Amino acid sequence: MKLRFDASVEAFRAEFLEWLEQNRPSADELAAEPARSSAHLPSWARGWAQRLFDAGWLIPGWPPELGGRNAGAVETLVYLEELNRHNIPRTTNPQGVGIIAPSLIDYGTQEQIDRYAIPVLRGELSACLGMSEPDAGSDLASLKTRAVFDGDSIVLNGQKVWTSGAHDADFCFMFCRTDPDVPKHRGISIVLVPMDTPGLTVRPLKEIIHPHLPDLNEVFLDDVMVPAENLVGELNNGWRMANGALAHERNLVWLMAVLGNESAFANLLEMLPQLLQDCTLSEQTSAIDDLVGLHVDTVAARCLGYRGFARYTKGGTAPEQALMKVYTSEIRQRLALFAAELAGPASLKPSAKRHTDVGTLEDFYSTFASTISAGSSEIQRNIIAEKVLSLPRS
Amino acid sequence: MKASVCCKDAEGNMDLELSSDQINLRDNIREVLEGISSPETVRAIYEGTSTSEPVWNQMVELYWPAMSVPEESEGLGLSFVEVALLCEELGRATTPGPLLATASQLIPALTEAKATTQLAQVAAGDLTGALAISEAGRWQPQQPQTVAVSNGNGWQVSGTKTDVVSGSEVGSFVVVAPTHDQQGAGLFLVQAQDAEVSPTESIEPTLALADVTFHNASATLLLEPGAATTKAIDRITQQAVVAMAIHTVGACRRIFEVTLEYAKVREQYGQLIGSFQALKHRLADMYLAVERANAVAYYASVAIAEDDNARAMATHTAKIAAGDCQRLLAQDGLQLHGGIGFTWENDLHFLLKRAKAGELLCGSSRYHRNQLAQVLGLTEAPNRGGVQ
Repeated sequence: MKLRFDASVEAFRAEFLEWLEQNRPSADELAAEPARSSAHLPSWARGWAQRLFDAGWLIPGWPPELGGRNAGAVETLVYLEELNRHNIPRTTNPQGVGIIAPSLIDYGTQEQIDRYAIPVLRGELSACLGMSEPDAGSDLASLKTRAVFDGDSIVLNGQKVWTSGAHDADFCFMFCRTDPDVPKHRGISIVLVPMDTPGLTVRPLKEIIHPHLPDLNEVFLDDVMVPAENLVGELNNGWRMANGALAHERNLVWLMAVLGNESAFANLLEMLPQLLQDCTLSEQTSAIDDLVGLHVDTVAARCLGYRGFARYTKGGTAPEQALMKVYTSEIRQRLALFAAELAGPASLKPSAKRHTDVGTLEDFYSTFASTISAGSSEIQRNIIAEKVLSLPRS
Repeated sequence: MKASVCCKDAEGNMDLELSSDQINLRDNIREVLEGISSPETVRAIYEGTSTSEPVWNQMVELYWPAMSVPEESEGLGLSFVEVALLCEELGRATTPGPLLATASQLIPALTEAKATTQLAQVAAGDLTGALAISEAGRWQPQQPQTVAVSNGNGWQVSGTKTDVVSGSEVGSFVVVAPTHDQQGAGLFLVQAQDAEVSPTESIEPTLALADVTFHNASATLLLEPGAATTKAIDRITQQAVVAMAIHTVGACRRIFEVTLEYAKVREQYGQLIGSFQALKHRLADMYLAVERANAVAYYASVAIAEDDNARAMATHTAKIAAGDCQRLLAQDGLQLHGGIGFTWENDLHFLLKRAKAGELLCGSSRYHRNQLAQVLGLTEAPNRGGVQ
C-alpha cells in the first residue's frame, strides 16, 4: 500500500500538463459552444479531438496509430484526473470514443476501422449506440429489431429508444436480431447504420429537464437497407461483443464518476456560506452533519475505486463495476437532493445550458440518468448478489 | 471558511490494496485465530468457564505482541498497516485478550515516547497495556478531571478513567492527564497494581472493559506536557481510533459472511431465501457497507503509516464509515438470520455485540462526525456550531 505515485508517473503527468497548456480548448471556446447532445461535435471539439489524436493523448493506452502512446493503466488514470481537474471534456461523443470505436477496433474489419473508428476518434464523425428498445430495457437480450440478409444487403426493421445523441450522430452501432429461433443471447448481431439511410427516422424525446435540448431519441427503422459489409464481427456474436463493449475497465468509468462527485462536492462547499446564511444555528448544524456524511461517501468512493484499480493493475479481477456504479450514482443523487433542498425555492430556477448547477432541482433530476441508464441501480444490485456474492438466481 | 475539499491532501493515493506479503500475514493470522480464538473459546468466556489467558499465552509464543514493536526494542518493526490488519482479524474472530489494546494503544504510546525498555518487555510478552483516556463515558473529555502531580521524586496520578479496553486484564495503563501546573496534558504509564480496577458489567465480556481509578498512583512520565506532546497524543489516539474502526469492520465482515452463508442454505416456500430479491438487495447493500468501511479504514491506516497530512481527516472518516457499517450489519445480520440468530446457542451474537461495542469505543460516529466537521472547516473548534 502507498499513497503516492512513482516519479515516472509524475513525469508523465508533467508532460501531459505541459502539452495541455499549449493545446487545450480555451474556457471561452467551451462556454461559447457547449455540446448540445452526446453526439454533437461543436467546432472546437473537432479540432481538439484531432490534436489529442495526433499527439497520442486521446486514448493514452493505445499505440500511436490509434491516437495513443502505449501508456499504462496508472498513467491513463492520471491523465483522466488532470483533464477533469481542468474541466476539459476529452470528447463530446463519449459513446463513440469510449465504446463504439474501441469495439470496432477489437471486432471490426480494417475497412470499418478506417472508415468509422478512426474518424470517430479524430472528431470527424460521431456515433450513437442503438441498444435499448421499448420492450428491451434492463433485459437487453430480448431486443426485437430484425436484421435480415438479402444478397449483398442487410435490411433492418424495428425500433430503438433512449438512443443518446441519435439526432446529431453520423452513424449508429445497432444491435439487432439476426436469428429469432435460438436462445435470445445467441441470435444478436451488430450492424453499422448511417443515420441518413432512407427508412430511418429519428424522433427526439423531450426530457423532464432542458426540454428544448433533448439528448435521448426514438429511432424507427422501416426497411432500412445497408451493405452486408456493415456487419460488425461474426454473425450472431453480438451479445459477447456487447459485454466486451461495455467492459468499462479501459475507460475507467468509475474514475469519471468519482471525479464528478468530487467536483460536485467541491461546488457544494463553495456555495455553502450562501446556502447557510439565512439558516438558524440548529438548521446549520443538521445541514453540516449531512454534509459530513456526503464527505465520507465521496472519500469512500475514491478509496474503493483506487483499491479495485490496484487489484486490476496487479493482474487481479477488475474493479467491481456494479458496486462502483450503484454507489457513485447514488452518492451523486443524494448530494444533488441535499443541495437542492438546502437552496430552498431558488432550486426551482431552470438552468440555461445543458449543464446543470448543484443546488437546483434540475441537477437532482439529471442524476437519474446515472441511476437508470446502463443498468439501473436495481439491476446492479442483482448483479452484485448473483455475480459477486453467488446468490441463486430468482 | 477553510473548506478543505475531500481527498485534496491525499491526492495521488495510488495503491490501497494489501501487498502479497500483507495478504499472507493476514491469512496466517486468520488461520491461527480460527484455532486459538474459535467460537467455542469465545463462548467459554461468555459463559464464565474460561479466561483470555490461554489465548494470550499462545499469541506470545507466536511473537504477535512483537509485531509492531520497533526493531531496536526486539520487535519486528511492522508498520501501522499491519497493526490494522491484525486488529481487523481480531474483530473478525471476536478474539479475547489484551492484544488489541496492546498493539493499537500501548505500543504506539511507548513508541512515541521512545520507551525502549518497556517496548522490549511488550515484545517479550511481559507487558500489556491500554489507553486510559475516557472519562464519564466520553472518549475525549471536555474537561478531564484526572490530574498528574509531581512531588519532586516522581509523578502521581489521580482520577477515574472509564471504558478502558481490556482494562481488567492488562498490566499497565497509558494515562492522558493534565498536570497540576497547567502546562497541558502529559502522557503517563501506571502499573495496574497501582490502580483500582473495576471491571465493567457488560453484555460483551470478551473485551474485558473496566473503569480505572487512580488514587495518587505512582506514574512514569512518558511525555511531558507541551506542543510536541499534544501532537504525539493526537497521533496515538488516531491509531487507537483507526484500529477500533477496522476492528469493528472485521466483526462486520464476518457477520456478512455468516449471513450470506445462511441465505444460501436456508429454505422457505421451497426455495433458498437468498433467491428472494428483497434479501439479495439487502445483502448487496451490506456487502457495499463492509467494502466501503474497509477501504476507508485501510486508507486511514496508510495515511497514519506514512504520516500523511490527511491523517486526521482519514481517521475520523474511517470511524464514521465503520459506524455506518456496523449500524447496517448488526441490524440486518440479525434480521436476515431470523429466530435462529436470536438464540444464545448461535454464535452470531458474539459478532453483533463486538461490532456494536466497537462503535461505542474510541468515540462514537456522532463524536467523529463533529470532529470531521471541524477538520473540514465547516464548524469552528471547539464545537460552537455554525459556519464562518
